[in-house]
Amino acid sequence: MKAVTEAVYLPALFLTVALMGGLRIDERVTFVAPPLFALVLGVMLVGVLVRGGVLVPEVLMSASRAPLENLNGFTVILSAYFAATQVFNLVTPESGLPFLLFNVFLFVLLVNTLAASPDRVSVLRSMAVIIGAAFILKFVVLGAISDPGDTMLKRLLYVLLEGVTLGTLTQPRLHPAAGYLAFATLVVFLIGLALLPARRQSVSLIRSVE
Amino acid sequence: MVMMRDRPVRVLGLVLAICYATFVAWLYVRQPQTLAEVTGGLTASVGAYRIDQQAFDDGLELFRREQHEAARAAFARADVAGQDARTHFYIAYSYYRSGWGRMYQDNELFTKGLAHVDRAIALAPGGRLVVEDPELQMHNADELRAELAEGLRVEASDFNPLRVFRQRK
Repeated sequence: MKAVTEAVYLPALFLTVALMGGLRIDERVTFVAPPLFALVLGVMLVGVLVRGGVLVPEVLMSASRAPLENLNGFTVILSAYFAATQVFNLVTPESGLPFLLFNVFLFVLLVNTLAASPDRVSVLRSMAVIIGAAFILKFVVLGAISDPGDTMLKRLLYVLLEGVTLGTLTQPRLHPAAGYLAFATLVVFLIGLALLPARRQSVSLIRSVE
Repeated sequence: MVMMRDRPVRVLGLVLAICYATFVAWLYVRQPQTLAEVTGGLTASVGAYRIDQQAFDDGLELFRREQHEAARAAFARADVAGQDARTHFYIAYSYYRSGWGRMYQDNELFTKGLAHVDRAIALAPGGRLVVEDPELQMHNADELRAELAEGLRVEASDFNPLRVFRQRK
């Protein structure tokens, strides 16, 4: 991996996600710190990334690397963790039943991915699906339910969710720009994950003698 | 050899990452609302922030002439980033004087005043702010804060008819 990717691009991408993940636009702009459970989910996501070979700690930090290189590697790992935490802060609803359901949903998905011991490509695909699904649920489905207007999607959801008290599902109304910003943030996060250095393929130079 | 060639990039990346991370943490702690607050906050953190002195003097003059709404507008113009403790003190004092009444206080104005004096105390070094202005009867931010907080509390003494003889500070 090029030094510029490890030292500049990756920390910049992940820190941008860490910044944008907590951004909430309403009448005033606020930066929301991640809830405690997002920290737990962030640790689990880093675990999934390490297990799947997306984030390889020994490539970023090892005794064979110079101290400066190790510092750069540590910055990448730390910023990736902050970004992961903020991604969950971003795609999780703010309160109520959806907050609980989303956290359980994400927790189960991450445990399932951890147990499956997938390869790098599968983990990246899995991340895109998990994050994409959470994004659609929060910003499209819940956003439509919480919207005060009477839209086609809202009427459809009322029919589908008949029997569930919609009052427990509604969230504070989302700003029109919120979904776009969230989408851009998640894309940046996925690009960052794809740019993480893969495990080096070792080639055996000694031929075994039968 | 490779390490030596990459060294400037790695050092630059590390410095940039630390600065960016500090900026992100600062945004989450300070919660600025406007770009002016962001730039003002950053310049204040390195001690380079300056208020618009002309606008502040205009505000002070209006404040002394009891034109409080106009004074607050001038003070806000003087300290667009909201980083100057003294300006916040005068805005809070202006809310106190606007909201003060012999029979009752305007709670909305007192609440706004309290928010500004709290900000002034938070911005003052060590939380201590004394404004040496002979026109004022309260020079200390803590004193002004106590006066505003007391005005917002409902107490038995509020119903004392002798309250009409008290003086505005």
